[in-house]
Amino acid sequence: MSSFRLTLERRQQVSTLRSTTTYILGLLLGLGFGLLVLLSAGAPAATLLDDLVIQVFFSAMGLAQTLTLAVPLILVGLAATSAMRLRFWNVGIEGQLWLGAIGATLVALSDFGSESLRLPTMLLASAIAGAAWIAVPLILKLRAGVNELVVTLLLSNVAYLLLQHLLFGAWKDPVNSFPVSPRFDENEQLASLGFGNLHSGIYVALGITLLMTILVQKSRTGFYVDVIGRNRTTALATGIPVTATITLMILLSGALAGLAGGLIVIGVEHRLTQTIGINTTFSGIVIAFIARFNPLAVLPTAIVLAGIYNAGGTLKVFYGIPDAIVVLIQGMVLLTLLMVQFFSSYRVSLLRQSAQQPGQPST
Amino acid sequence: MEQFITSWLGSTPAFAIPLALASMGLVLCERAGVLNMGAEGYMALGAMTAAVLTLTLGNPAIGIAAAVLAGAALALIFGFAVVIMRCEQILAGLATMAVGLGIAGVVGRPYVHKSFEGLQPLDIPLLDQIPLLGRLLFNQDILVYLTVLIGVGLWFLLERTRAGLKIRAVGEDPASADVAGVQVQLQQLMAITASGALCGLAGAYLSVASSSVWVDNMVAGRGWIALALVVFARWDPLKALAGAFLFGAIEALLPRLQAIGVPAPIYLMNMLPYLFTIAVLLIAAWSGTKKGVEPAALGKPYVRQDRH
Amino acid sequence: MSQGSPLLTLSAIDKSFDIHRVLNSVSFELARGEVHALLGENGAGKSTLMNILIGVYSADAGKLELEGKPLKIGKPSDSARQGIGMVHQHFRLVDRLTLTENLLLAADDHPQLKSRAAAREALLNTAKEIGFTLNPDCQVGELSVAEKQRAEICKVLALGARILILDEPTAVLTDSEASSMLAAIRRMAESGRSIILITHKLREVVGFSHRVTIMRRGETVAAGLDTSDLSIEKISSLMMGSSSTSLSPDGIDSKKAPSNVQEHGPDLLAISHLNARRDDGAPALTDVSLRVRAGEILGLAGVGGNGQHELTELLSGIRSASSGSVMIDGADALGLSPRQRRKLGLRVIPADRMASALVSDLSIAANLSLTSVVSGRFGRLWLNRRRMQREAQASIEQHEIAGARPSGRMGLLSGGNAQKVLLAREIDSGMKLLLAHSPTRGLDIRASALVHQRLREAAAKGAACLLVSEDVEEIMALSDRICVISAGKIMGELPGDASAADIGRLILGHE
Repeated sequence: MSSFRLTLERRQQVSTLRSTTTYILGLLLGLGFGLLVLLSAGAPAATLLDDLVIQVFFSAMGLAQTLTLAVPLILVGLAATSAMRLRFWNVGIEGQLWLGAIGATLVALSDFGSESLRLPTMLLASAIAGAAWIAVPLILKLRAGVNELVVTLLLSNVAYLLLQHLLFGAWKDPVNSFPVSPRFDENEQLASLGFGNLHSGIYVALGITLLMTILVQKSRTGFYVDVIGRNRTTALATGIPVTATITLMILLSGALAGLAGGLIVIGVEHRLTQTIGINTTFSGIVIAFIARFNPLAVLPTAIVLAGIYNAGGTLKVFYGIPDAIVVLIQGMVLLTLLMVQFFSSYRVSLLRQSAQQPGQPST
Repeated sequence: MEQFITSWLGSTPAFAIPLALASMGLVLCERAGVLNMGAEGYMALGAMTAAVLTLTLGNPAIGIAAAVLAGAALALIFGFAVVIMRCEQILAGLATMAVGLGIAGVVGRPYVHKSFEGLQPLDIPLLDQIPLLGRLLFNQDILVYLTVLIGVGLWFLLERTRAGLKIRAVGEDPASADVAGVQVQLQQLMAITASGALCGLAGAYLSVASSSVWVDNMVAGRGWIALALVVFARWDPLKALAGAFLFGAIEALLPRLQAIGVPAPIYLMNMLPYLFTIAVLLIAAWSGTKKGVEPAALGKPYVRQDRH
Repeated sequence: MSQGSPLLTLSAIDKSFDIHRVLNSVSFELARGEVHALLGENGAGKSTLMNILIGVYSADAGKLELEGKPLKIGKPSDSARQGIGMVHQHFRLVDRLTLTENLLLAADDHPQLKSRAAAREALLNTAKEIGFTLNPDCQVGELSVAEKQRAEICKVLALGARILILDEPTAVLTDSEASSMLAAIRRMAESGRSIILITHKLREVVGFSHRVTIMRRGETVAAGLDTSDLSIEKISSLMMGSSSTSLSPDGIDSKKAPSNVQEHGPDLLAISHLNARRDDGAPALTDVSLRVRAGEILGLAGVGGNGQHELTELLSGIRSASSGSVMIDGADALGLSPRQRRKLGLRVIPADRMASALVSDLSIAANLSLTSVVSGRFGRLWLNRRRMQREAQASIEQHEIAGARPSGRMGLLSGGNAQKVLLAREIDSGMKLLLAHSPTRGLDIRASALVHQRLREAAAKGAACLLVSEDVEEIMALSDRICVISAGKIMGELPGDASAADIGRLILGHE
């Protein structure tokens, strides 16, 4: 007579092969679920490939729109990457993005600085505003040990209220019935590349991805980040400047999110509106997680997600499938990826407890 | 003035109840050691489910019951992810939130902006005419009274019963609770499911009681406020209830001020609850009381065979 | 005591954590009404064995029997139901509940304890029976360590334990508290309960136990010997596995170069009147003064948990002192950051290398070059990764780190090879003072021998070495001078050729 039971143990050593396999399987499984959801929501199977892939990546207009949507997504993906590599929970990317948009708009509306330097000033202002917004939770965490999760979250709401305060008040465009700011001047808009709505902000996003990749992979700071994020005690004991590195990377995270907001208003909207940046915190985290916190991998991940958003627009117009489906797919992919990690992090074993056969090795 | 205060207080529950229900649910969940970032999603799912069923069946009670079940079911998925599969709680919570928002948006799409006969206030004659507090106390729907009961019941459960003792022990020190024979995973799953049910109820209140319609983005960040409220209330269900009424009162006051022509910067004033909460966090951190209140094992997955 | 059938029998128990084997066919037997001492160094496997008995861990193989019947334990509450209770070193009490509530929590199988009043009553009765006083309405977090211990014993007994496991019950107590605890243990045995006493303190074993089982490196080296036949010296030699006994399982080379104390250079480490506190505020180090000269190895012997951990953290710069001074190579080091201390020549091999010296998720090359990156040797702004890889490869070859590639993950190395990586990194040209805490813990004999060789070479090259270890044999094999630490105080100094018995006496010599 013997009985069986399951026991669970944390794996102390996980091979690259095992973690890569579970990751790929999880991603495929998650995307599979996403497809099923699309089909069950009424997307026609026959044209799915066309709608999801051909139209958004291989048609000129579709690709232009996908890349336009990708610009802020790349930046928020990098913002999330920068914070999460240090295990800092920046769940206020939206707030920093809105502050960035406000910063850029402030420069435009106040005609700050010389006209020739207006655009760079606006971009800089958006980055600084984003960094300033994350400086609050950063200081609270470093100085008082306050959990950054709740503070970044709360400050997002505060930022949105600030945005509304401005759009319904001082910055409201008097000639528009909607709560939007006045339109920026021509010299306050990023050059259009003559490819749909795509603007020169794509170069900014590409350039920053490259810089981030170099920072993370080649610089001494990037090395410090690797150590601090994985083992803070070792970092302290071996003399790594922990506080300085965290400060730098978290301000960078806020600045990137701010820049994303700046690029949306300067490049696409050409004015401040209250509809920008919705759900970017979650998208940024999803992108960073799927890219496994690798800045270079953020680029294709963000472009694919932008394609899905773009396709979501098409599905809405032609089949009446709401765009919430894109959020649903992101959630399912993330949840699946998280769950399959169980199989690389833990070992489940079946133990046989046997009464008659003492000392039998377990299976 | 009296008229103004009476109607202001009377409309406060409409703002306060969703926050109260969701944050009490989250209090329960966090007391069991699980950080649940999914509230926004459960609430959206609950609001949509309640609205759709009320629209199609014409019975708000069925809609509300279904919303509770829907919230609980989604929370159970989250529970499976974090309790059984030991997923990172924050990320799994965000993912569940997205799933809830997504389902609500997709399934609810055909029913958007269709108004229906929702839950009506109870008709208590005479008493509701009492100045100042009459409308607040005696002209509300049944869910308002139920919410207060749930708050007291939850407090009693956590502070006065053996079942609550187990939940608290799991959130404080799962290894010790395990040694004492408490089924850690079961407790956490129950707490998570209950929190989903309460958030679903909170969502149902939004659609069936306070607005009688389903629209996209109906929850509008209330799930996040509820999460902050848990910290604001220092993980106490009664304080969460009180905090929700405080936040709700501020929310209810502002449009009224605007309506009577008081030049109040409503958006800036709406920031107050958030700024209060940050201030509470900071004070708690400085005075060192944070350690005394926050469940010690919050957010940490428990594996018995880890070396504790 | 040993006649009749045993109450409890554990036979041929195996247990591994992931790939690390911690118990190897261990057996243990307990009779009714006895105090059975379970002895062994830290890491010998005592706590793991007991955690298997109470169902926290599950054994990979082996058999448990209670009163001749197979004992099936899948979770902690199963053992409680069988009347087995354990008082852990880290008490299993929820700090933010009162003592009554802690008992109430565990009362699932005890209907008579399910009301607050009944639980409170049961605690008070139990306390009275064994002569304790306690306040059942006090939050556990507010109790002192000794009070918590009494509280947990009462809780376990109130739940009906017939077999009581006490994990180092006196390690955290003052001498007078310890005496009354030991008296209480004896009373409990006289009332028919069986006690398993895990301890390091040989005096307690001789004075209070009926039988002794000794474990060493995951194996039983002596099972159920009658205490009356044993002396402290005999037990200590069994426990430490010194080469005079045939039971010693390993043969670490214990010969060392003749001590050349006269030739040692200046003090590279001078600690004077150092005081520090533990995380919980209790004193960890009291008036500690030590000095280590260039070219010598100072062995600091003592049972774990007596301030060694705090001392190494303090010296490496991640814990602060309450008073006293630390001079490294003549410079006042107390106010310096870990980085500045490294510049003075401090190198550290901490006891838990994966927690505070290495990063298991990074590459071996990254771990080997970690401190050089900090010092800027691979570039100030940009890192020369290719050079890092190249030097890592050279280092791996030079130190014969088996199975290592520069780009391989650190976590995939065995304990011995991981220690080689750490030694290769820390023992460099800038080293003047080497702090090594339990550098062979968890290593096999060959790896241990290699670590010992590296430490000797370091001293021979003129470094000052402070070797902190619980392994008396290791201390004896390497040290030029030996100091003993107990309860955070330096108990005395011995020459390098002192015997195990001499060291043992200082370790035991509280008074």
